Amino acid sequence: MSTVTRPAGYALARRGRGSWLVHKRAAGTVVVLALALFAAVVANLTLGESTVSPTEVVKVLFGQPSPDELVVGTLRMPRLVVGLMAGAALGVAGALIQTVARNPLASPEIIGVTHGASALTVGAMTFGVTSYAALPYLSVTGGLVAAALVYLFAWRGGLHATRFVLIGIGFSVALRSVTQLFLTKGDYLVAQQAKVWMTGSLNGRGWDQAGPLAIALVVMLPFVVWSAWAMRNVTLDDDTATALGVSLGRNRLLLVITGVVLASVATGAAGPIDFVALLAPQIARRVTRTAQIPLLSSALLGAFVVTLGDLLARKLFAPTELPVGVLTAAVGAPYLIWLIVRTSSGRTSRSRSGAAQ
Amino acid sequence: MSTSSSTPSAGSTPSPGDAAPSTSSTSRLAARGLTLAYEDRTVVEELDLAVPDGEITVVVGPNACGKSTMLRALGRLLKPRGGSVLLDGEELSRIPTRTIARSIGLLPQSPVAPEAITVADLVSRGRQPHQRWWQQWSEEDERAVTDAMERTDVTALGDRPVDELSGGQRQRVWIAMALAQETDLLLLDEPTTYLDIAHQVEVLDLVRQLNVDRGRTVVMVLHDLNQAARYADHLVAMKEGRLVARGRPGEIVDATLVREVFGLESVVVPCPVTGDPLVVPGPPRQSAAAGIPAPSGTLTSGKAPS
Repeated sequence: MSTVTRPAGYALARRGRGSWLVHKRAAGTVVVLALALFAAVVANLTLGESTVSPTEVVKVLFGQPSPDELVVGTLRMPRLVVGLMAGAALGVAGALIQTVARNPLASPEIIGVTHGASALTVGAMTFGVTSYAALPYLSVTGGLVAAALVYLFAWRGGLHATRFVLIGIGFSVALRSVTQLFLTKGDYLVAQQAKVWMTGSLNGRGWDQAGPLAIALVVMLPFVVWSAWAMRNVTLDDDTATALGVSLGRNRLLLVITGVVLASVATGAAGPIDFVALLAPQIARRVTRTAQIPLLSSALLGAFVVTLGDLLARKLFAPTELPVGVLTAAVGAPYLIWLIVRTSSGRTSRSRSGAAQ
Repeated sequence: MSTSSSTPSAGSTPSPGDAAPSTSSTSRLAARGLTLAYEDRTVVEELDLAVPDGEITVVVGPNACGKSTMLRALGRLLKPRGGSVLLDGEELSRIPTRTIARSIGLLPQSPVAPEAITVADLVSRGRQPHQRWWQQWSEEDERAVTDAMERTDVTALGDRPVDELSGGQRQRVWIAMALAQETDLLLLDEPTTYLDIAHQVEVLDLVRQLNVDRGRTVVMVLHDLNQAARYADHLVAMKEGRLVARGRPGEIVDATLVREVFGLESVVVPCPVTGDPLVVPGPPRQSAAAGIPAPSGTLTSGKAPS
């Protein structure tokens, strides 16, 4: 072939003077994931203490009258909506944080968000704040403050990815012991409640959590759209990106803020759901084979993993309901391992720090 | 400043670029009293350099002499501790980085490609300074990327992942990316590292061709003194953070310069192919220590008789 038409693998979307690159395989993945997510949503709403027929569930979803409207729409839906939004937010947050940290293991948990949220929430519970109206805001605050401190301490004339991760781990370990301290000092019943919160649970979540979470996500949406483009440039090494005119400092800061806010609000609504932010971006990237983590696929996968995890958490040991965080890892991890094993045959990636003289 | 350029060679210079006089040209990019440091270690001190437009400037010097550091500062990857780098008379630190990227392209010493990125995708990243998030691809981008890939002969590799390529191919892809940026000035930090000799020549020929065909101004750091002498219009020799000599290779490269800059005894002869100075290292140390006399005069005279 003699002529190149746009970067291979991309399609071009035009509108007026605007033009956007669309990764074809990523677009296909989005369609498949959306269908899978819809199936998971229907399954989640179908199965519960009583089983509702999937056709009735679909009817309720599309706003048609149904005898099961109370069970599906009023009882099961709010909890699911919280799960979907929290999962999607965590998927995107993980993608952004992994990109800035240049580390597939980085997640809100590593850079202090989760443990900051836990420490403040559990601390508040210990001191008698048990109202679900106040706790989410406290955990959002805890996550944001912890991440801001990590960023501040990691900054030395620029953000160094490795230092960012290491300082994040340091903070996380310290905050975790603070949380443990609160747990052992506090009342037994409070400790029990805190434990459940700390695993990430959708039990008892409803429109009260869904409303603020939805508002937060809508506010963050423009930043997420911008992030999808900015990530393209931040994936290059520091020198190359700077040479291409990318203001790395500003880009990274905005990406981290976006990721941290998303992770914090998700944690505030549903508690720290384990592994979603870690797994979803990596699975999405391996499935789409893009050079940077695809945000939309990552969001859909996050939502999918939480929906499926919640279904299993409710049904596996019914009538005992497990916290969803126990099962998200069980759902995602085997698939990720399979993907890595399948694709790592023979290909080794060169890894080198961009800080050579 | 240019201490050893004071000895003009004895009429034997076969002058490859006889039309262009040595230092008459203008310069868009210049360093003024540039002092560079990492933490508390000063690497380059009070350096003045004007990069002649439309020429290939090659910087040579021993390891850790500050040549790469200087190149990084010319491309605003490193902030000066003192002095300044000027682009069209304006301090680099006062120009938005994106605006700089439309004038100066820079290929770092060891760029790292994102995992699994394809060749065409990586080359198209060179268009970054010309794009906005709502304008991610234009006909201009298309033309520049196609052109850059053709010139570097990587068009056929377009769909391949970069991490599957050989070292030589990969280097061509990176150069293609820098070309797609379409800047008048191109800074290359040791573009031949990790390449075998055939690929080294291939890359350097490409650079020369870009300079001749498109009038691109090139500044590159090279390790090999002979390659430097062969491809440079304007050679800059550095030692311990200072500029030791600058000028046409034929005018400044002689045994004295090689001894002063690298501490190496050598014979400098005209290259049998191009006539540029060719540095041949003197006999190995131990034989000199054993008292084997060097061929009389050759080690100290500037040039061997042709």
